[in-house]
Amino acid sequence: MANQKKKNPSYNGPNSMMLRRTLFLLAVCGIVAFVVLGARLFKLQIIDHEKYESEAIEQQVRDTIVNAARGTIYDTNMKILAMSASVDDVFISPKEIKLYGDDPLVIANGLAEILGIESQPILDKMSDTDSWYKTVAKKVEPEISDKIREFVKENDIKGVHLEENTKRYYPYSSLASHVIGFVGMENKGLAGIENYYDDTLTGINGRVVRAKNAAGTDMLFTTFEDYYDAKDGNDVVLTVDSTIQYYVEKSLEQAVRDYDVQNGAAAIAMDVNTGAVLAMASLGNFDLNNYQIVSDDARAIIDAEENEEQKAELLYKAQQLQWRNKALSDTYEPGSTFKIITLAMALNEGVVSRESSYFCGGSVEVLGRNDPVKCWKAGGHGSQNLTQSLQHSCNVAFVNIGLKVGAERFYDYCEAFGFFDASDDTSRTLTGTTGIDLRGESGSIWWSRDTFCNPDNKSQLAAASFGQTFNITPLQLITAVSACCNGGNLMQPYIVKEIIDPDGNTVSRTEPTVVRQVISEETSKTVCEMLEQVVGDKVEGTGKNAYVAGYRIGGKTGTSTNTTVEATTGKKQYIVSFIGVAPMDDPQIAVLVLLDCPSNETGIYISGGRMGAPTVGAILADVLPYMGIEPKYTSDEEQTVDRSVPKVTGLESNEAMTKLQGEGFTYRVIGDGGVVTAQIPAANSIVAAQSQIIIYCGAEPSTDLETVPDLTGTTYSIARQTLGSYALYVRASGPITDPTAIVVAKQSIAAGTQVEHGTVIEVTVTDNSQQGRY
Amino acid sequence: MANSSASLKEYGRDLRTPRGPVDIPFLMLTLLLLTIGVVMVLSASYASAYYDLNNETNGNATYYFARQLFFALLGIVIMLVASRLPMSFYRRFSFAVLAVAIVLLMAVLVIGTKSHGARRWILIAGISLQPSEIAKIGVILYFSVLICRYKNLMGTFKYGVAPFGIILLVIIGLLALEPHLSASIIIILIGAIMMFVGGARLFWFIGGGIGVAGMLFIALNVLQYSADRISAWRDPFADSGDTGYQIVQSLYAIGSGGLFGLGLGQSRQKYLYLPEEHNDFIFSVICEELGFIGAGLILSLFALLIVRGYWLAMHCRDRYSFLVCVGITSLLAIQVILNVAVCTNLIPCTGISLPFFSYGGTALLMQMAEMGIILSVSRDIPDARTD
Repeated sequence: MANQKKKNPSYNGPNSMMLRRTLFLLAVCGIVAFVVLGARLFKLQIIDHEKYESEAIEQQVRDTIVNAARGTIYDTNMKILAMSASVDDVFISPKEIKLYGDDPLVIANGLAEILGIESQPILDKMSDTDSWYKTVAKKVEPEISDKIREFVKENDIKGVHLEENTKRYYPYSSLASHVIGFVGMENKGLAGIENYYDDTLTGINGRVVRAKNAAGTDMLFTTFEDYYDAKDGNDVVLTVDSTIQYYVEKSLEQAVRDYDVQNGAAAIAMDVNTGAVLAMASLGNFDLNNYQIVSDDARAIIDAEENEEQKAELLYKAQQLQWRNKALSDTYEPGSTFKIITLAMALNEGVVSRESSYFCGGSVEVLGRNDPVKCWKAGGHGSQNLTQSLQHSCNVAFVNIGLKVGAERFYDYCEAFGFFDASDDTSRTLTGTTGIDLRGESGSIWWSRDTFCNPDNKSQLAAASFGQTFNITPLQLITAVSACCNGGNLMQPYIVKEIIDPDGNTVSRTEPTVVRQVISEETSKTVCEMLEQVVGDKVEGTGKNAYVAGYRIGGKTGTSTNTTVEATTGKKQYIVSFIGVAPMDDPQIAVLVLLDCPSNETGIYISGGRMGAPTVGAILADVLPYMGIEPKYTSDEEQTVDRSVPKVTGLESNEAMTKLQGEGFTYRVIGDGGVVTAQIPAANSIVAAQSQIIIYCGAEPSTDLETVPDLTGTTYSIARQTLGSYALYVRASGPITDPTAIVVAKQSIAAGTQVEHGTVIEVTVTDNSQQGRY
Repeated sequence: MANSSASLKEYGRDLRTPRGPVDIPFLMLTLLLLTIGVVMVLSASYASAYYDLNNETNGNATYYFARQLFFALLGIVIMLVASRLPMSFYRRFSFAVLAVAIVLLMAVLVIGTKSHGARRWILIAGISLQPSEIAKIGVILYFSVLICRYKNLMGTFKYGVAPFGIILLVIIGLLALEPHLSASIIIILIGAIMMFVGGARLFWFIGGGIGVAGMLFIALNVLQYSADRISAWRDPFADSGDTGYQIVQSLYAIGSGGLFGLGLGQSRQKYLYLPEEHNDFIFSVICEELGFIGAGLILSLFALLIVRGYWLAMHCRDRYSFLVCVGITSLLAIQVILNVAVCTNLIPCTGISLPFFSYGGTALLMQMAEMGIILSVSRDIPDARTD
């Protein structure tokens, strides 16, 4: 055929070279090239498939976080202490703004006006037109979000978006601020329970994975969507009772004001039988809803500073200080409150008994010390039995008791009471914590066994016997004292009693845990009886200011040097404290109050008995009735305790007289009618017992005004009597231990004021008979 | 006039002369590819039409599809008409086509529509077209005439190289002024193939190859624009947000297709990620939606069409028809191969559309006319199937 073609002169088809070359083209363009392309596709689509697919999906899907609701923090009665609410973050998409031609100026000005911020920063953010996401404001309230939605709709804006977030609210603002703690901008717990239980409260954020187009909005008609449900955080129920916490903070604030406390104050209330923390306060506290705002005083100092760096530094320090939980994070020398521990171990070891007699001549020589240990009372307490030694808070007696226990045993007991953790290395300084479920607990500072038990030097043992030369936290002390009063069991302190899931099911419940029995039940009972004598004995008890009429309260004072302040400023400043326990026939609650550096200026003698005891007394006076513990008044107390005046108007006169007598009042009748037509003071007025109530039987009450007399300096009973003669009434703001001994320090209505009959005057009383740092 | 009226009579006779049937396999492959192509335009263009990125669709998601469908149907008509015209007709007007192309290439520099810094489009009687498209077929038609004319002199420089070289230089020069690199490349390649098949000596190609390589080397080192393309080709991921963006998005699309693809219409990359997704990068969407299997099938159809084109050429009784057939088939092959090579990042990015698939009315009509010419060629092959 090919030959034919060549031979045919009229043949006009392709010659053989052309055909060869075409065949070559066919091979190259029709086969080889396509094999190469196919191989390339195989490489991209099969071999590298996963790599490209994952990278493509990464850009194609929008991963929207569904915030898990943060759990609620409740107090023991399920009152809400911290809760989360929905808010929105506002962000702009500069790329969309450019893409859709939104007017940047309109957006910036509109947002600035709604949010109450400057518009320039918004414009700056908008200039980054490659960005899809620039945050303008975080956590804006729903009302503001609504305004933004409206603004976006009105102006047909494409590049402004809202994103759901949550915000933490603290309904009680500053109450228990150090315990509850707070969360940061990212809803991460930064302090307190919020921090310690962060994982529990946080829950697990959910996700919605949606296909998006390159403009960042949802892809059309794709069913490419995945949901991962959010798991809301669990709720935390505290052992803290917000009412008790309120009472504690109220009295503590009062103490800080009254005694002009310079360096903050702390208080803990604990259930002695379980170790549950009922209240924990540290002053000054702060508003959890605005946790970064420092107190006015601190602000003034910061504002006075010129240098910006210094300013920031000062602010940082002020914030760290106000967030510090003094009850947990500060260690101190407990001083005389520690004598409870010394007493307990001595009784438990049988080295002392109630009948033991101690002589205090004002000082005692101790092996290894150059100068003798002095008692706080210069002349000494003379001869005293064990109870009296405790009542007197006699250092000399307790040095002798400590020496009798002996260094080794003393050291072992301190360890057993949880003041430090043992170590094999006996030459090392020791430390320890209670391990409570709160962040920020500091460790104690304790002697090494070698030093403490040095047979040639008893000075550490001697000083430790009355609570000096070592550092512990307030929490450690109250935990140990609780053990002394609850039958001898050292309890694991805790602050969270229950964790419940969002459906209300209990996830976990904290059962009270006995760490160990430190002393016998019998010893504990004896300690309780003796502690009651410190408060209850109106003559010898150094803690009598903590007495609350109708209740059996025990306790111990403490006054020690703030060694940190002394070391840094050289000034002698004191930490005064008091630990009270009640009721002593069946101890339930312990309250420790610690006032750091009360001022010298108030005129009140700086001591645990004069400052700590009344504060604890005031707390217990509120808390014990709240806890449902009924007061049992002695006949003496019947005379002094404040009570509510019954309504007698409308009763038969003799019926009214019987009723008033029955409720502990005296009375005076004016008029001769058979029925009571009026009474002074009005029903439900709170006045001192034995006050004279005036009942009018037909006669009109006088409308004359009376001039308030000056009561300061008079005893309580005289004050009551004096006022009674003017038809005025008295009420005490503090506990009345002995109406004939305590005197009025302040009165609520100034002398000379004209008042109506029946007016009640509240007086602050003080017992001036006590002097001495015990 | 007399001459032209005589020719017209001649054509009239030719038209009346019974010719064989068109080549059914070639016709079927063409229609199959055209159909798949139109469907793929619907799928690929859906998102960008919906979002109206070019401000022309008014959010009508089927805007591009409807237009492409119209041009496809019109293209079939044109193809059938072209297949009925005798080869003598094309031979007669070969020079005219090239001349018109050159005139238009000059005109486009003056009255062309400027877009992206280049003048490539010209608007004539309401139809916008690229003169370079006409130049391609013009080169094929007129080179075929020249080769037939110098049939025994193709081995010489004077006849076998110089006239072709001059024509190519004129066209390339005009294209360079637009500028239009991809069309230049295609025309150089198609010109070279025509000369190669026409019988030019091989060493001219070696020399020409060295010359082109040298020019390319200079161009790449002098022009930042081209240098960027080369670096984006070597490592598209190095600057995936800017110069490498297109190619990275194309690779994502192709790679995520896997073996079976995401399914027709299920491309995710077409949602504004992949630029030119219904034009130059429509093959990437095919790969994503139809997978290795589907893309391989379409490539196979193309390969079969090309092989069939060459096969038809090799069975021509007429040298001119043979040359035109080889030329058009090669043009098709070059465009398909280069387009797919760009999508898969085998070669640096340049704008070459995929025949029958890429959106574009006049280009599609031109391709259909070219297929019609091959079908016309096929009719002159006696009983090709039994050959």
